[in-house]
Amino acid sequence: MRNALAIARKEFRGYFTSPIAYATIGLFALIFGLMFVAFLRFFMEQSLRAGAGGQMGMGGPQTVNVNQMLIRPLLLQASVVVLFVLPLLSMRTFAEEKRSGTMELLLTSPLRDWEIILGKFFGAAGLYALMLAVTMLSVVWLFIYGNPEWRQVLAGYLGLLLLGSSFLSLGMFISNLTQNQIVACFITFAVLLLLLLLNWVAEFAGPTMREVLTTLSITEHFDDFAKGVIDTRHLVYYASFIFFGLFLTSRSLDADRWRG
Amino acid sequence: MIEVQHLTKRYGQTTAVDDVSFSVAKGEILGFLGPNGAGKTTTMRVLTGYMPATHGKATVAGYDVFEQPVEAKRRTGYLPETPPLYPEMTVHEYLTFVAAIKGVPPASRTRQVDTSMQTARVTDVAYRRCGALSKGYRQRVGLAQALLHNPEVLILDEPTAGLDPKQIIDTRELIKSLAGDHTIVLSTHILPEVAQTCQRVVIINKGRVVAEDTPDNLTASLAGVEAIYVQVDTGGGDAAPVLQGVTGVVRVVGTEARDGRFSFEVHSERGHDVRRDLVSAVVSQGWGLLELRPVRLSLEEIFLQLTMEESESDAARAASSRDSDGVASEASSAADSGAQGGNSDA
Repeated sequence: MRNALAIARKEFRGYFTSPIAYATIGLFALIFGLMFVAFLRFFMEQSLRAGAGGQMGMGGPQTVNVNQMLIRPLLLQASVVVLFVLPLLSMRTFAEEKRSGTMELLLTSPLRDWEIILGKFFGAAGLYALMLAVTMLSVVWLFIYGNPEWRQVLAGYLGLLLLGSSFLSLGMFISNLTQNQIVACFITFAVLLLLLLLNWVAEFAGPTMREVLTTLSITEHFDDFAKGVIDTRHLVYYASFIFFGLFLTSRSLDADRWRG
Repeated sequence: MIEVQHLTKRYGQTTAVDDVSFSVAKGEILGFLGPNGAGKTTTMRVLTGYMPATHGKATVAGYDVFEQPVEAKRRTGYLPETPPLYPEMTVHEYLTFVAAIKGVPPASRTRQVDTSMQTARVTDVAYRRCGALSKGYRQRVGLAQALLHNPEVLILDEPTAGLDPKQIIDTRELIKSLAGDHTIVLSTHILPEVAQTCQRVVIINKGRVVAEDTPDNLTASLAGVEAIYVQVDTGGGDAAPVLQGVTGVVRVVGTEARDGRFSFEVHSERGHDVRRDLVSAVVSQGWGLLELRPVRLSLEEIFLQLTMEESESDAARAASSRDSDGVASEASSAADSGAQGGNSDA
């Protein structure tokens, strides 16, 4: 475990020695901020209208829920942005080491494969967590001027963390298949989009197929988190997804070794 | 300390290493010699646990590299062909990271990093980025990396490749000074390097071991033919036909003629000492015998001979001495140019 931590630390720092950490954190914060402002304006309009509706005697003032009308759609949109940003974090994990020959150092050091894989995973997930933490700066305003349900916000962020980690585990596997970061990035991106499209395909499918497809869909499981519900089913789904991604990575690492 | 038994490695259809066996005693420096693509790097990669062998067994410091890889790797330092550096890290950061993954306990990390930097003479660039270092420094940082956890076994893949002459000499001295405490396997395709640094040589070609001995023994006994250098003063006439006529002589190569003095290299059948007969032939002609001495083939010549013989078919190798002599003399003429190249390298 100490070895895995050493690698995680190295990976995490590695992001900051190239512009990639600053670019992804900055861009993600910017996009998140813009979405936040857009949803906030919409939410304010809605609440004004709701208030006005009460004045005009249309069934009394309605309550608008900041959690349901602002935080939930915000986090759902954020989950799509995450899909675009995370391939940039996972692309270098193995492709870069293979290209520069440093994989030879890792594989001839007294490390077990899972220590290398977990180290890289935690390094990337750490940066992603930091990326999410920065966006909390936007959400904090809601707590200053309003009274949202903090448990829902936390559940939402937990969901985003799990969702992103699943993306990362898959991205690491793909990064291990090539020496070219750009190729790794694009393939990861394409595969993640396909996973996202499962939702749409499900719309046209028959009832049984729809059930199957939505259960498999990676974003479908996020919705409950955005609502503030932490359901064990979804936890199990993401945990299995991450495990599967890391397992594929370890298999392909082993396959490389035999192939030479 | 290192045992390799019947090691075979195939990549798909190609056989990179074919039934290689050798062993290295504790504290010894073994030179792994062969042309490019002979299977040196593959053998080293199997020894370091980077890749498994297709067949065969390798143990390092008593641990099977396949069965107990972590234990074996803990005792092995490895410098790959290209030093595995992270360009964005400083030398100090890099070595500290390597210390962590090599399992150096946190308490002694700083000390070990400093020691290895001193040994490999990279202390002056400790806070420079690895990516900004010259080839020579990169190579030395790679060496520092291999030495870091003070391993019993050092495996160095072409440690002097790309260095300037001064650095090559320094690196060889360093490697020699490490023997004793460490068991070292180094690969190279530069021959003087082996003669100067190694106690034992394994010559490998096309994935097979073609010779294994000390540099001295190789030079002495593995010559395909015996050669004698003769200098004769005939006063004018050509001595070659006379020398050729001596029984047991297979080939006479004239090297130079000046003022009626002829120099020849006389090749004889193996195990057939023609010196007596040569002397009486020269004397019976009334010529002056100025010099007569056995020629020991240099490592270059043996190397070329061995690796070129290998390229002939097996049938040709088993054929008559006349044939094998033909191969040998081709090799030795090629070796002249090879020797010059080698010397200018050193």
